[in-house]
Amino acid sequence: MSEPRFRLRVTYRKTGMLRFLSHLETVRACERSIRRAGLPYAVTHGFNPHMRIAFGPALPVGTAGLAEMYDLWVTQHVPATEALARLAAVTREEIRPHAARYVPLHAPSLAAAADVAHYEVVVSGNAEVPEALRRALDSIVASGELTVEHKGTQKVFEIAATLLKEPVVRSSDGGAVVEVATRMGEKGSLRPDALVKAALSLADEDAVVASVTRVRLAASSHDGSESSL
Amino acid sequence: MADQVRDAVVPLLPGVERPSRYVDGEWNAALTEKAGKRAAGYRAVLAYPDVYDVGMANQAVQILYARLNALDWATCERVFVPWTDMADAMRRESVPLYALESFDPVREFDLVGITLPHELTYTNVLELLDLAMIPLHANERGDDDPLVVGGGPCAYNPEPVAAFFDAIVIGDGEDAIVDVATAHRRMKEAGATREEILEGLRSIPGVYVPSHGRIRTVRRAVADLRGYRAPVCPVVPYADVVHDRVTVEVTRGCARGCRFCQAGMIYRPIRERAADDIVRDAMAALRCTGYDEVSLTSLSTADHSQFVEVLRRLGRRLHGTDVTLSVPSLRADALTPDVARLLGAAKRTGLTLAPEAGTQRLRDAINKNVTEDGLLDTVRRAFGNGWRRVKLYFMIGLPTETEEDVLAIASLAARVLEAARDSVPSKERGSVRVAVSVSTFVPKPHTPFQWEAQVPLDEVKRRQALLQGAMPRRGVELSYHDAETSFVEAVLARGGREVAGAVEEAWRRGARFDAWSEQFSFGRWLEAFESAGVDAHAIANRERDPFDELPWSHIESGVSTAYLRMERQRAYAGETTPDCTFAGCTGCGVCGALGVSNVIAGGVRV
Repeated sequence: MSEPRFRLRVTYRKTGMLRFLSHLETVRACERSIRRAGLPYAVTHGFNPHMRIAFGPALPVGTAGLAEMYDLWVTQHVPATEALARLAAVTREEIRPHAARYVPLHAPSLAAAADVAHYEVVVSGNAEVPEALRRALDSIVASGELTVEHKGTQKVFEIAATLLKEPVVRSSDGGAVVEVATRMGEKGSLRPDALVKAALSLADEDAVVASVTRVRLAASSHDGSESSL
Repeated sequence: MADQVRDAVVPLLPGVERPSRYVDGEWNAALTEKAGKRAAGYRAVLAYPDVYDVGMANQAVQILYARLNALDWATCERVFVPWTDMADAMRRESVPLYALESFDPVREFDLVGITLPHELTYTNVLELLDLAMIPLHANERGDDDPLVVGGGPCAYNPEPVAAFFDAIVIGDGEDAIVDVATAHRRMKEAGATREEILEGLRSIPGVYVPSHGRIRTVRRAVADLRGYRAPVCPVVPYADVVHDRVTVEVTRGCARGCRFCQAGMIYRPIRERAADDIVRDAMAALRCTGYDEVSLTSLSTADHSQFVEVLRRLGRRLHGTDVTLSVPSLRADALTPDVARLLGAAKRTGLTLAPEAGTQRLRDAINKNVTEDGLLDTVRRAFGNGWRRVKLYFMIGLPTETEEDVLAIASLAARVLEAARDSVPSKERGSVRVAVSVSTFVPKPHTPFQWEAQVPLDEVKRRQALLQGAMPRRGVELSYHDAETSFVEAVLARGGREVAGAVEEAWRRGARFDAWSEQFSFGRWLEAFESAGVDAHAIANRERDPFDELPWSHIESGVSTAYLRMERQRAYAGETTPDCTFAGCTGCGVCGALGVSNVIAGGVRV
């Protein structure tokens, strides 16, 4: 009865004030929404049965996400649109699912498959900021590497290996939006705000990172192109 | 104002621990804008004087929140004390304390309800009022300030915090809070002054207005819980909070009559809820919250006359799911073979037992009707049914305690360890854990021991060392509640109005989160007592004459003082008193005084 027979991939957002939830808090919130929705989720066997669910790569606390994902194993087929509607009805807007579809039972895990992440970093400052950022990012890319200090330890990222493409800077009202696409490797991934902050300090501009949003996750192919999950 | 506050809060969040404490957005939290009630309505905010993670576990907050939000003319929000990092950041940036749901400043609300769960939260009450920019003293508040109302267990001796509250509700709050809000709203709309409002609130049963003097106030008691539904859609936190699960109240009150226990006196009589209601509410709450655990709560859950039936029915409903059932307060003698089997099928958390004293003589004196044989039987049964951990609670400094009693804690712990080891397969003996937690007795108001002196600090430490030396070398983990904390607790529990100055002084010197041992500073409290001219030792360590007026004599729990005096005499004589729900009336007086009686759902307790 509780055998996992189907695998439902749910895409949800994590926005507004709820971007401050930790990964663990997000996991718990999604699990609880699934129980509220009454979906026929599978449970593991063993002494402490628990829901069969697996999440994509964690978001740092404070970073918003527009298309975060989890896979839920279910014991009965519920039409994906119905499952989505039931989940959406029991979830706060800031953390609400907006897509659901079935994937093959033995498809690669989200954690393994999702190795590309697209971000938007919003910088607030002045009209000079976009151009200054462009120049600074160009020079970081040209230098070939970036040293980031995190919690007292220094980490060196090779730009070519860590960025999927060169960052794009758009002008926006009162500042800039930087599009950053990173690869997530075994040795961790570069935080897009770290890259933008490094560029800001190089540019010596009076500007700050106002928000970071992970726009989407994707899987990369051998030929360098990417495919959706 | 809300948007300004929110904009000011966001930049603070990346720099603090656990920012989810401060953002709201939980499932089942009241949607104040959408309800459309806000513009026209009366606005209340409930505060728990500790951090979010602790406050969200409190049942009273959830019950009162649901009650107020069910009114069509009122909205109710929540607020907790920001942890020190956030509080400091808010002060630095002049951000006022805000209610979680709307981000509106707390000082803009009509009513601020603060629950008083234990004495060590008193400095946090001041921290909360100060962060909210509400005048600390009731007599400094004007017509535009919120009405600050207290309640909860510490309301039974309100004097040490009386100066900070406009009104204090004594007893069950669910009906009283509605009465207070109704009267407050009516008088506010009629243009009443603050003084007229306080005068009006005094006529509500159970409401004490400290500024009008120490006026006799009889506690409020809900006669029967059958007509009332537990909040089945409580707010579901994101953060990892204490007791993160559905809690269903199964019984209010306990008549076991342990003589040190305040809850066992002030929550009388026994009000059981029917098995049907408990099962219905548990299942509805699981569905409405999505929790994976449901807990049956009361002071002594296994005493419920339909306990086994409830366990059986819930066990059947939850079979094959990932949802577990837990019972947090089991008596040592409650783990019958039936119960062990039914609970054993659920998640086995550690077993917690509270013999409280090491010898039968002392257990009789405190009326803890647990025998050593009963305790060891329970341990054998639990470990035979799969449990591997047991925690034992004891107290040091109980009235009539001798060295022999203290040393007996160690030998009892050793016998429990032996019984536990003998009840598991030999290859699993290494996984058996016995933890012994020892606290210091605090004589509490409204108990038979309210006149007792607390044992002086040096003597408590001597007895702790004595016990430490006698404990088994291996297999038992011993931990103490900090004795200094218990001393401060005794002063705050037993003091009168004069103690308020010391509470304020301690807070001004930086005391907050006193219940968190790493935040507590004894030195700071001693300075505060001295500076405020409070003789702390005379309050904590002096025995009172049983016929003298006490600071809390004007607050009536319904249990008569004559009964408390008699119980104290029986303690000295080593005589036990039975539980009236099993053995007939013992004459505590609560039923006559309050016009209530025990409600036993199954008709009879066995």
